[in-house]
Amino acid sequence: MVNAQLLELISASIIVSALYIQGQAYFKPTIYAQAIQSALISVLAFYLGFALNLIDYVILGVTIVVLRSFIITYFLFRGLKAKPGIRESTRGVASELVVNLAFFFLAVFILYYFVLGRIGLTTEAGAATLTIFSFILFFQGLFLIVTRRSTIAQIIGFIEEENSIVLFGILTIPIPFLIEVSIFLDVLGLVVITSLLTLQKLEHTKLEELMG
Amino acid sequence: MRQMLLEILLLAIPIIVNVGFFNTKLLKALSLASSSLELIISSLLYFEIPVKGIFFIDNITIYFLLIVSSIYLLSVVYSLKYIEAEEIRGIVSEKLYYVLLNFFVASMIFSTIINDYGLMWVGIELTTVASALLITTEYSEISLEAAWRYIIIVSAGVTIALFSIILIYYEYHTLTVTSILSSQPKDSLIIKLAVALALIGFGTKVGVFPMYTWLPDAHSESPSPISALFSASLLPVAMYVLYRVYEIYPLTDLFVALPTLSIITASIILFKQWHVKRMFAYSTIENMNLALIGLATGQVFGAVILLLAHAFGKAAAFYSSGVIIKTFNEKKMDEINGLYRMRITSSSLLLSSMAVTGTPPFGTFVGEFLILKTLVQSGFIVEFILLVMFLALIFISINYNVSRMIFSRPKYDRSPKEPRLMSLVSLISSVVSLGIGIISIIWGVIG
Repeated sequence: MVNAQLLELISASIIVSALYIQGQAYFKPTIYAQAIQSALISVLAFYLGFALNLIDYVILGVTIVVLRSFIITYFLFRGLKAKPGIRESTRGVASELVVNLAFFFLAVFILYYFVLGRIGLTTEAGAATLTIFSFILFFQGLFLIVTRRSTIAQIIGFIEEENSIVLFGILTIPIPFLIEVSIFLDVLGLVVITSLLTLQKLEHTKLEELMG
Repeated sequence: MRQMLLEILLLAIPIIVNVGFFNTKLLKALSLASSSLELIISSLLYFEIPVKGIFFIDNITIYFLLIVSSIYLLSVVYSLKYIEAEEIRGIVSEKLYYVLLNFFVASMIFSTIINDYGLMWVGIELTTVASALLITTEYSEISLEAAWRYIIIVSAGVTIALFSIILIYYEYHTLTVTSILSSQPKDSLIIKLAVALALIGFGTKVGVFPMYTWLPDAHSESPSPISALFSASLLPVAMYVLYRVYEIYPLTDLFVALPTLSIITASIILFKQWHVKRMFAYSTIENMNLALIGLATGQVFGAVILLLAHAFGKAAAFYSSGVIIKTFNEKKMDEINGLYRMRITSSSLLLSSMAVTGTPPFGTFVGEFLILKTLVQSGFIVEFILLVMFLALIFISINYNVSRMIFSRPKYDRSPKEPRLMSLVSLISSVVSLGIGIISIIWGVIG
């Protein structure tokens, strides 16, 4: 038996972690928040695994913790260590957060009433409307990429997007394990490459040569 | 049994040859052998289709395989001279260049032949992992930024495609391509949403509006053999995956509208282009979207001819641009002049620009003609009128710029020296594009 309120609580905590990342300009807390966000998703997977008696969810939970909370966090810190800097050189993090909240409520409203309410998604985890949390997380990641200039913040935005997919999968239907693991390894590969790029370029600005 | 062996070899060879990593010369020779073998195996597989099982190769897949393996061979031969150790600085060494190139090709082949939507997605994401660093081969702040934009935009887009894959799995409880395509079509909102999300997601890698902004950056800053592989192989492979999703539930109106918008926006930006490789990158957006319209309207044959001819024509355009940029040390078209003195390169550039703009009798013309004809027959009159107008604008923009670079008076008396191997590869590639068109016309495909 699945406790829907508990699922909502964990899902809401994941969104809170995303909002914290959006409002944070310091690198270290942002990286830790990403690790916590991934851990919360694994908690969700463990809970569903035990509640529904599905081993797939438990293995998924372990994979998320190991790859996202530990290995990816390690690579992000490694990239940061080689190019010292404690804070992103950006202003207006607070105002960005306000815009983000407005964007977030609008997106929730549109998705809830115009998409999820109509397509008739039913899930093993309970109410289909729970999947709204994955879409919110996706938009949070997208917003982080668009509003920030640092490599670290943008890659965390990308990880948030990937987390949103995992959340969507957990809340709707667990996809075959081979594919799930391949997806995780792909993301890990991208993070390793971005940590290499972080060593060369910590911030991204507009370049005349790349316009038009 | 023979089929399976060929498929495994096709996938394994580009990976296995990387054992030559300890010696640059050996790695180069093995890469050359690998690319030749890939072309031979792809050609042999032509006689084995249809293949169904772990892998899926039908009479459409095979052309995509031939495109990837042909451009792989041309790019490796071109790289032998283009990528030289003393010029390499930054992250990618000469050895790493060939290793990543081989992995890149393996990931494209994997995406094309695997009989599983989920693993196709994995393959497409792998192409990003394998190719991102290749963009930074000619190390500069600009190439680093281009690589970064490539990673972040494409990954964000492809993530959207994963939503689509999960929805497909939700609806069918399998991701096997052949099982889904042979099952009863489902007219559900979930599947429609999945196909629409795939257009945005995989469309990012195909060059569909609005997520194509990575494309001119990555194409312009990559070394020319990689630009050729991006434009001629990677984008068609992503289109192939998108087409396989489209087949589940054809949302034709959407798949015609967005590519039309892509061509319009690309042609407007192209009109004011100053960078030789960015110009050809926008032309790629045009050709890919036109091919996508062909696939969406059922003109698969036209789309395949367009993609084949475009692959060779565009590869030639990037190869000749590479020779020009190396010779003049200049990317601005205003600063490049008197190219007629480089006979092979200028011939190749002229032929390739005619090829990518759909000049008769090139294969691209045949493909475009068939696609536009089908568009009218399918009742997309507004889209047809818009496309004809903007394709004409693209034709004028590219051919005007190329003619100016070739036939203008040279600023310096000194005659530029032409790297023979690179120029010849470029010329051969453009002639193949012409050959595809002539053969198609002789066969009477547009009659």
